[in-house]
Amino acid sequence: MAAPAVPAPSTTPTPPHPNPPHPTALTRARRHLPRLGALVFLAAIGYLVIAPLVGLQRLAFEDDARGYSAAFDNPDMAETLGTTAGLALGSLTIALVLGTFLAWAATRLPPRLRLLRVLPILPIVIPAVAAVTGWAFLFSPRPGYLNAALRNLPWWDHLDEGPVDIYTLPWIVLITGFGLTAFVYLFVSAGFGNINAELIEAAQVSGSSAAGVFFRVTLPLLRPTLVYGGFVALLLGLGQFTGPLLLGRNNGINVLTTDMYVAVSQSPVDYGRAAAIGSPLLLFGIAVVFFQKVVLGDHSRFVTHGGKAFRSGGRPSWVAVTGIVLYSLVALALPLGALTVVSLSAFWSGKIQPSGFTLDNFRRVFQESGITDAIVNSLTTSVISVAIALPLGFIAASLLLKGRRFRIIRAAVDFIVAMPLGIPAVVFGAGFLLTYSREPFILYGTRTVIVLVYVTLMLPFATRMQLSGMVALGDTYLEASRTSGAGALRTNTEIVLPLLRPTLAGAGALMFVLLTHEFTASLLVRAPTTQVMGTILFDYWSNGSYPLVAAIALVMTLVTSAGVFVAMSVAGSDIFEKL
Amino acid sequence: MSHVRIEGLTKRFAGKPPAVAVDDLSLEIEPGEFIVLLGPSGCGKTTTLRCLAGLETPDEGRISLGDQMVLNVRGKVNLPPNKRRIGMVFQSYALWPHMTVRRNIGYPLRTRRVAREEARRRIDEAAELVDCAALLDRYPAQLSGGQQQRVALARGLAAQPDLVLFDEPLSNLDARLRDQVRAQLHELHARLGFTAVFVTHDQSEALALGDRLAIMKAGRIEQLDTPERVFDEPATEYVAGFIGMSNRLPLRRQGTGWILAGGPGTDEQPGEASSSAGASRLVADELPVPRSHSEVAVRLRPDDLRLCPAEEKPPAHGVALAAEVVDAQFGGRHMDVVVAIAGSRLHAQAPLTGKPWARGLARGQRVTAWFAKDAALYYDADGARAAAHAPAAAVGA
Repeated sequence: MAAPAVPAPSTTPTPPHPNPPHPTALTRARRHLPRLGALVFLAAIGYLVIAPLVGLQRLAFEDDARGYSAAFDNPDMAETLGTTAGLALGSLTIALVLGTFLAWAATRLPPRLRLLRVLPILPIVIPAVAAVTGWAFLFSPRPGYLNAALRNLPWWDHLDEGPVDIYTLPWIVLITGFGLTAFVYLFVSAGFGNINAELIEAAQVSGSSAAGVFFRVTLPLLRPTLVYGGFVALLLGLGQFTGPLLLGRNNGINVLTTDMYVAVSQSPVDYGRAAAIGSPLLLFGIAVVFFQKVVLGDHSRFVTHGGKAFRSGGRPSWVAVTGIVLYSLVALALPLGALTVVSLSAFWSGKIQPSGFTLDNFRRVFQESGITDAIVNSLTTSVISVAIALPLGFIAASLLLKGRRFRIIRAAVDFIVAMPLGIPAVVFGAGFLLTYSREPFILYGTRTVIVLVYVTLMLPFATRMQLSGMVALGDTYLEASRTSGAGALRTNTEIVLPLLRPTLAGAGALMFVLLTHEFTASLLVRAPTTQVMGTILFDYWSNGSYPLVAAIALVMTLVTSAGVFVAMSVAGSDIFEKL
Repeated sequence: MSHVRIEGLTKRFAGKPPAVAVDDLSLEIEPGEFIVLLGPSGCGKTTTLRCLAGLETPDEGRISLGDQMVLNVRGKVNLPPNKRRIGMVFQSYALWPHMTVRRNIGYPLRTRRVAREEARRRIDEAAELVDCAALLDRYPAQLSGGQQQRVALARGLAAQPDLVLFDEPLSNLDARLRDQVRAQLHELHARLGFTAVFVTHDQSEALALGDRLAIMKAGRIEQLDTPERVFDEPATEYVAGFIGMSNRLPLRRQGTGWILAGGPGTDEQPGEASSSAGASRLVADELPVPRSHSEVAVRLRPDDLRLCPAEEKPPAHGVALAAEVVDAQFGGRHMDVVVAIAGSRLHAQAPLTGKPWARGLARGQRVTAWFAKDAALYYDADGARAAAHAPAAAVGA
């Protein structure tokens, strides 16, 4: 399995003479076997990742780049581009400020309340579709629960809708920013963890105030983290799909991703135009990945710092506690609460009527074969994809770490594996839809195509988590095994895999969570008969069956929480920091 | 047991410019011999060891273990570590944390397909050898550092490999444990007679363990000899400095005698530039140095640099120097004294037994430092021996 990653067995064992045996054709072939294996692997993941993108571009450039002219001659395109940039930058700003504040707050918690640290991560367990629908239930202009409540305030009592209209750009930006906050929080928390406590203490001893320490020492030390985390959040913001689709689409708020979706899902279907619409995202994603690989260099960011763990110094702060609790209340409790209320109601109105609560919606979820099929599909495709992505990631990580002999292959693998992180899922979704709806692989409407997309999207996570696990493992255990007479295979099965078990379990569980959440790419490659949880939820949302939507969203959240719980119990609570 | 032969081994690491870690190194090791590669960090000793193990891919050279050619760069032979019948002990122990001590020690036997009963017997035997029989069912995390290293030793020896490689195995242990494990290792080698290559930067470890020492510098062997010869007759100034002759005193010939030339004193501290009046004073008449040399560097161990009150005269066979005390530290049976001699800082170990005078030394005090002519060694500008009371040792291998 890991054949490409190990030094070449170069000759037959124990030649009888001190003189070198003449290399036979067989030994020569064996020497080239690892390179061949690495090449085959590169070709496989290269096809998986790049073929859909190339297919899209080929279509976009067909007939004198008709796709591009169709996309960019459209007078609305400028506005769409502006909205996309505004959404990305706006949500990035919100996420950076909130995420950094929360990460700082987490270091200033009183010892008894240390557990509150996990609260800012928890919004990740709510799938984006679930969160967005939850917010819509709260802030929809007319029936939104919070809007209805706000209209009871004396200065708003004359309104019959609002005061908040969630179907407008600022609110979409805000909600998207909220969704990205947890990611920034993870990055920055890890960054805090890497700051040697003595650096902070030295600043304090040198006479800096708490604020002075934060702005003059902590923040500058965090800068690399913030830049890196900021880029990731920016990419995520550019690729945002769920919020704009569910909230903005009907009000004429379009971003590139939703435009792209419309181009391939509504007749007349125009792949060329869709591909052209996705090109700015594709280019930007590739540029960021390239920048990260070439400019930031590769492994330094995986190296864990020595020294004492971060202690923020400074006394516990009640601002910190209040901030974290307030944030989790808003980001977690509000949407979940709204979902719960709607899911228990017969219909969605601005009033909460506990007397009319019923479990009928959940009963329907588990009775309607369309929904149960979607749940089963989600679970099986996720599990299968994890089972495929993990070994692929293992090979990729081994190659990246030890394949110094295959410099070009290694660089290519490094790049290809990072691409799904840089390029929005909607682009991959469209590419897969196109590539696997025609020769040579007609897979449209099968679960196979969903698995293929999922595996592709998970490649970066599978590789990175295992890579950092291997880096942490170091070379010595493996060298000790090789010098004890073990070959590459035995070293991998008896030493590497057992030692990586927590990493593997954590990576698997995390990917399971991300995949059961998956909405964007799934929506593009699904067929009416082959749905997953997110897409079926979207269909019911489009039909206006809101109570059922809420019930499905809660079931999705439950499935995900179970995944997170398993992930944390097998891999420790810091699994997300290994990304 | 094996006859190890290394010929023309060269290993370069990519970089700008490429770093030559091992430079055309050749070495032959007799069966049962314990060879120590000694040198400062970066001298290529660990790279040489790793080439022997097959963990690095050398750029040139040949290595044979016994009758097995394991490396021949020209012939495109480079056996992977697992085909080399070696054992290796690592600095960080490298015990696999998910295996018990028994499984750790048994691993090399499993990879070599030793039958189960036989393996069990040899695991017990190996554990017995290193006093770890009681630890067999524990996990490495439950062991102390010394125990871990003894288990690692047992693992390295369990399969009775042709060659055992040691990569600074004692340097992670604290001072007392290091002495214990070192003694145990010495005893084990005497009993079992395995062929060993041991890498260290610690000269006392090297002197204690090695049948022969190879002192390395910049990827080459500077001197290859028995510990006694290396200690008494360092072939080059580099070796002398490394083996404990840390004091360096540059002298220049003037007329019939020698004067001090400026330059660094001890290896650790560069001397302060100084235009002390004593610099041009004749310090010695004749030294055991051939006529052809006009400049020499004198190398001295700290305990061969003696101190006496400034007004006292040293014996006739000694070379006397006017010195000023820079610092004096109490060292138990002796005083560690740093003296400045014409701008050079030298380190003297003044015994306190029967000589309480040295206890009172203080900064700024003027004293006479002297050394016996035959206690010092003399090196020319290229670092080679300028003369010797015995024939000069061969340089290099």
